[in-house]
Amino acid sequence: MRGRDFALMVTPAVLLMTVLLSVPLLYTIVWSFQHVSYGEGSTWVGLGNYSAALRDPVFRDSVLFTVVFTVARTILLLAVGYGLALLLNAVRRERSAFLGLMLVPFIVPSIIGAMAFSWLFDSNFGGLANYFLQKVIGHGYNWFTDPWANRAVLIGNVIWHYVPLAVLILLAALQGIPQEPMEAASLDGASWRQKQWHVVLPALRPMLRFLALISVMDGLRMFDQLIPLSPSAQTINNQSVMLYVYQRAFTDSQQNLGLGSAVNVLMLFTMIVLVIPLLRSTYREVKAS
Amino acid sequence: MTVLDAGQIARATPRVLSTPGERARKRRTSSVLVMVAVLAFTALMLSPLIWSTMAATKETSIAFASPPQFTYQPTLAAFVNLWQATNFYRYLENTVIIAVATAALTLVVAAPAAYALSRRGGQWSAVILAGALLFRAVPGFALALPFYNMAKSLGIYDTMIAVIIAFVAVDQPFSIWLLRNFFAAVPVDLDESALIDGCSRFGAFRRVILPVVAPGLVTAGILSFLLAFQEYLIAVVLTDVNAKTVPVFLASQIGQTLPLLQQASAGVVLLAVPIVLLATIAQRFLVAGLTAGAVKG
Repeated sequence: MRGRDFALMVTPAVLLMTVLLSVPLLYTIVWSFQHVSYGEGSTWVGLGNYSAALRDPVFRDSVLFTVVFTVARTILLLAVGYGLALLLNAVRRERSAFLGLMLVPFIVPSIIGAMAFSWLFDSNFGGLANYFLQKVIGHGYNWFTDPWANRAVLIGNVIWHYVPLAVLILLAALQGIPQEPMEAASLDGASWRQKQWHVVLPALRPMLRFLALISVMDGLRMFDQLIPLSPSAQTINNQSVMLYVYQRAFTDSQQNLGLGSAVNVLMLFTMIVLVIPLLRSTYREVKAS
Repeated sequence: MTVLDAGQIARATPRVLSTPGERARKRRTSSVLVMVAVLAFTALMLSPLIWSTMAATKETSIAFASPPQFTYQPTLAAFVNLWQATNFYRYLENTVIIAVATAALTLVVAAPAAYALSRRGGQWSAVILAGALLFRAVPGFALALPFYNMAKSLGIYDTMIAVIIAFVAVDQPFSIWLLRNFFAAVPVDLDESALIDGCSRFGAFRRVILPVVAPGLVTAGILSFLLAFQEYLIAVVLTDVNAKTVPVFLASQIGQTLPLLQQASAGVVLLAVPIVLLATIAQRFLVAGLTAGAVKG
């Protein structure tokens, strides 16, 4: 392809990316060094917002919660997704119908899904979960005010939302595994567990790595789910970093945009560090082609 | 696979010898167990939406009664109330318009770029694709708050145009990646024969290549349509009254009491139905798109 045609074809996309993604990022970076309040001017405060955030115990708690939650949900997602993919792989005729039904939680907007999810637990509105728990173990939980019960609801919701994607991707990969190594392993008398460990898992590794990356990135940026599922997130220490930004920059009386932007910049750096391996391999591969 | 000698076959035979009949029965039992497990899990996955649907079709007095009511006389009153007492239909109309426009504009911008990037390697392509990947990693708030400022100063705050532009910007990097995979699967010979026949590069792209990747375009279109339906953060920051989308409206009902809450559950059902229908009809494309995302990028 000639250079001129190439330039013409990519220009609209590059312009859009530059103007609508780079400019907002520049805003965020500049704000992070300023004290900004809506409708008033802004004053330069250097690294003041960063040190204010790092000194804020609420911020530190939200970082701790977010990181631990992200690790837990990622491990659980991979395990549940793997198990379900194996299960669905054993179903033949009805597989695509089940897959279609299972995709529903993933394509319904996450905040709406979380809302519907919260209605299963809310004792003001039927309390379906407690109704069953009452019958089975004799007592229910305060799902929205007990920190650990609330964490269980949150992780349940996250798995519910993401497991369809995991199943879909792992199932496609399972079907791509060639039959020969599996048959050879069977002939050598390998047990089911040995076959999983030595043949299936290595074949799925790239997909598992991809799912882990997505889960970690979305986990660190968690926000939508918390609005319906954890109304008292801050008091029970279930506040994510992004919810902290929302509280400080948008809803608090102080509307501290500078502080929020500083946290956004820190989050951006974390994300970049996470995608660097992927970025580097992409860059090399495309440049060489 | 090599030919086996008798010794290998003997070693391969299961230690516990069972007759063919026994084995078939065993297989049948295990496939029944698998089926039960899959059915149970699917029901569990759908339970929040089933419960919402039940809440929305009950009499208001028992919609969220405790203990929960499982048998009841269904009524559509909550849907009627939602339609009459709120601007739900307007928010739904907004959402559909925004989603269609987002999908169309994203394709118009991303398809030529993805095609060009699939046909030419080198430094520039590498920078653009790496940049697109990087932008997928940006936290929503780092964009949403500046978008709010930019929309205010341009005087387009709370208009559908502002929401559409923001969605296209956010969605575009992913679409470029996805479409590039589809274009890369088309043999370069096809471009070349079109060029030899006297087509310009744009002519070849429009008349020869685009029809070939039509399934890919449908896939990318569906995914950006869904993204526009799903996005909450940017929509809530950019809209107030006029351009409000359904997710923003429904989220504003969180913490409400009856009957508003029951109306919200009716809204959840009304929002879920078209999405589920779309996913059922276009399952093939959806699966292709979501899987391709994992294989590359």
